[in-house]
Amino acid sequence: MRDIVLSRVYPHPRARVWTCLTDADLLAAWLMPNDFRPEAGHAFTFRTTPAPGFDGIVRARVEEIVPPERLVIGWAGGGLDTRVTFVLTEVEEGTRLDFRQSGFRGLRAIIPRIALGSGWRGLLARKLPDVLSRMEG
Amino acid sequence: MGYVAEDQDPFRAIADPGRRQMLDAMLDAERSVGELVGIVGLSQATVSQHLKVLRLAGLVAERREGRQRIYTARAAELRVVADWVAQYEAFWSDRLDRLGDLLDRGVQ
Repeated sequence: MRDIVLSRVYPHPRARVWTCLTDADLLAAWLMPNDFRPEAGHAFTFRTTPAPGFDGIVRARVEEIVPPERLVIGWAGGGLDTRVTFVLTEVEEGTRLDFRQSGFRGLRAIIPRIALGSGWRGLLARKLPDVLSRMEG
Repeated sequence: MGYVAEDQDPFRAIADPGRRQMLDAMLDAERSVGELVGIVGLSQATVSQHLKVLRLAGLVAERREGRQRIYTARAAELRVVADWVAQYEAFWSDRLDRLGDLLDRGVQ
């Protein structure tokens, strides 16, 4: 299954981008309120508005922190146990951020099976293939 | 989207590996409780409890056949889960843009 993979280039020095990833207040400003500390093993939470299937609390843990280039956070919530990884690379234009969320194992058992089903195939034909193409592979 | 009561929450329903295994089996074919017990290797009481959770979440349909109850997975309902992954991707894309905005505003 393919992970969620996103990439951005920010026209800013890597040290500043790193600070935005690892300072709790700045992290809250772009992501969610939290009690993050930049220490490997630190268990903390992100809190946001609850939504269907999600109580609004992400149980997180600093799994790996290598300043100023790599941050891995255990990310559990909404019945899933995933991992998000941020990698910063210096590039000519500034800093490239490569983001990945992996570990959607809880879904893999079900979703490809849906694609193999029949009867409701037409119903799902439009939207599901896009999602599956991102998840499998 | 509105709130979903906890016992009707499909995401909570699929959070348990045993229930996922049962759903898998019921996507293949209709199943009785006895068949499910044989497939997943859990006690009948546990399987019945899991079925209750899955039914409340709308993921499983039940019908009677003589004295037996037969269960099937309502696959279309599981579509919600797929949509949810797409939403998660949109969430991160939005947040990474917000990070860019924060950097552009010169926050130290």
